[in-house]
Amino acid sequence: MRRRWMLAGAGLLAVLLTGCAGAGEPDVSKVATAFEDPSGDAQARCDLLAPATLATFQSDASAPCANAIADVQLPGGEVSSVEIWGGDAQAKLGGDTLFLTRTDTGWKVTAAGCQSRGEEPYDCEVDGP
Amino acid sequence: MTTVKEPGYGFLRNNALSLAFGALFLITLVGQAISGVADFNAQQVADGLPQVGFLDYVTSSSFAVDVMENWQSEYLQFLLYILATVWLVQKGSSESKDPGDEGTESDREQRVGRHAEVDSPLWARVGGWRTAVFSRSLGLLMGTLFLLTWAASAVAGWAAFNSQQLGQRQDPETFLGYLGQADFWNRSFQNWQSEMLAVGSMAIFAVYLRQRGSPESKPVGVAHADTGQTG
Repeated sequence: MRRRWMLAGAGLLAVLLTGCAGAGEPDVSKVATAFEDPSGDAQARCDLLAPATLATFQSDASAPCANAIADVQLPGGEVSSVEIWGGDAQAKLGGDTLFLTRTDTGWKVTAAGCQSRGEEPYDCEVDGP
Repeated sequence: MTTVKEPGYGFLRNNALSLAFGALFLITLVGQAISGVADFNAQQVADGLPQVGFLDYVTSSSFAVDVMENWQSEYLQFLLYILATVWLVQKGSSESKDPGDEGTESDREQRVGRHAEVDSPLWARVGGWRTAVFSRSLGLLMGTLFLLTWAASAVAGWAAFNSQQLGQRQDPETFLGYLGQADFWNRSFQNWQSEMLAVGSMAIFAVYLRQRGSPESKPVGVAHADTGQTG
């Protein structure tokens, strides 16, 4: 019984410290899906990028985001899992992984088109500085 | 032990030590929170990420782990010191019993059971399991607080570690996975070693050095070889 209470306490603390993880999952899924949708409005997709990632993307593409975003091949797919830890999140889609950050205006994509490299950081098609 | 009532001493003066350290604790905790949010936001700016508000920071895993990892090591320090000084002595130290007095001592020396006095705490007088528990209550409380704060430190450290992992485009860890990570053990050991240094230093410095008027020190004129005297 005591162990059960301790586990419950640890769970509660974890939820508090991760920023009520469950509450943000639908929002993260929505942003990830919208960003990966190739048929979506280009400007609306660009508005989902975090400022630093947007700046890096436009600098690398030497073009406004809205003109360049359609050229990025993102595998997309259904959201299979979402992890939220503090102000950071990871969304795994069928063929892609995205990283997001919480801002005053909602979740923004910090990296997309990411492929796992095992212990190494993901290799991402779109990423910040 | 007899209760000494100091005429004219009010609540504040009678509890000045606890109250002063309680207040200092709150002031320094607020100081940690204010400097912590500034440091956290400086890192956020460097990473091109949005800054966080004060309330968001003090409820974050980053703040929680910084607080808990220090609390757990303090309680571990007191737990080990309380238990170690039952059995280990340091000749000449005001922090130690006399050599030869090692151990839990007799009921008469500890004034428990039939050796209890009229003003002894009830649980020291009654014998049985209650006296057994009360005889170890300080160590039990410190041990419990250590385990609770260490567990909280592990959970908060796990959350902070995973937030950092995601910021570095890496997968989060499970809780058990985190307990095997260098981050958790490095946070623990770096706090533990400083506590052991502080305790060891105090035990030996108290042999040769004095602080006039402090019960943590021997009286100034007492010989270095005298053990267990406090001034």
